[in-house]
Amino acid sequence: MEATSNEFLRGTLKTIVLKLLAEHGRMYGYEITQSVKDRTNGEITLTFGALYPVLHKLEQEGFLLTESEEVDGRLRKYYTLTPSGSATAIQKVSEFERFVEAMQILLKPTEGGLSLSPL
Amino acid sequence: MTFDNMKKLTPQQLTKLHDHLIRNNTNDVLVNELLDHLACEAEEYIWKGYNFDLALEKITQEANSLAVKYLSKTYQHEIAMTDEQLQNASLDDIVFEFRNKAYGAYDLRQSYPFALRSALILGIGFFLMLMAFLSGMAQGSWSFFSTSGIMWLVGVCGVAYAIGTWFFQKSSQKYALPA
Repeated sequence: MEATSNEFLRGTLKTIVLKLLAEHGRMYGYEITQSVKDRTNGEITLTFGALYPVLHKLEQEGFLLTESEEVDGRLRKYYTLTPSGSATAIQKVSEFERFVEAMQILLKPTEGGLSLSPL
Repeated sequence: MTFDNMKKLTPQQLTKLHDHLIRNNTNDVLVNELLDHLACEAEEYIWKGYNFDLALEKITQEANSLAVKYLSKTYQHEIAMTDEQLQNASLDDIVFEFRNKAYGAYDLRQSYPFALRSALILGIGFFLMLMAFLSGMAQGSWSFFSTSGIMWLVGVCGVAYAIGTWFFQKSSQKYALPA
């Protein structure tokens, strides 16, 4: 289960992160994992091994800004969207929605399927 | 409030988590962020009623060397320099790509050509000054228009240039804010 869900997750991680940041404004890494876990009732869990590479990649691409703050004696790194990040978030989410719709059509058993194979 | 204190990790406990990350060869650039991540996890466990040692055990099980290695691998794969960046990157940039540049070695390497040039100019300058001084002593008379006089002037200029640029370089570094 873990491995297969990871496979689907890999391509959508960026979209998830951008979408969450678009909604919440400013978040740190652990907050993102918790938010994903809570909202999907534990169905999707992001490991730190998957999350941080994506966050740093998005920062490198200019979609995210970071600021470090000291909280409880340790440095906490907060992420916010840049203007181009916000635009990308909207674009990625709508692309993904289209993809999900297409997948649902594909997965739905069709009556038309019968007509394809006579007999 | 005691409730609040109960949820926060002590500096000693943070140090334990930090040590765990260092022992597992965590990427330099990720250590602080991961420390915060694991600390948050630990605090959640403690909030749920575990004691710190048990929480630490669970966390170090999850964030074992395998997980950290996976993180480093994905990280390097994702963040690796693009071909275009690689074309313009110096050897130092490549060597220090995923390492802590603030530690000092990167700066030392970066300033090495400058230090070498300054040292060379300084050395030659002193040598010329010494030669001019000795030949002036031997002749018993001094003229700025003789060979030794010109050597002396060139030497003084070289030494002044080397010391001057070194001083300005140092002061600009000293007052620059760390990025």
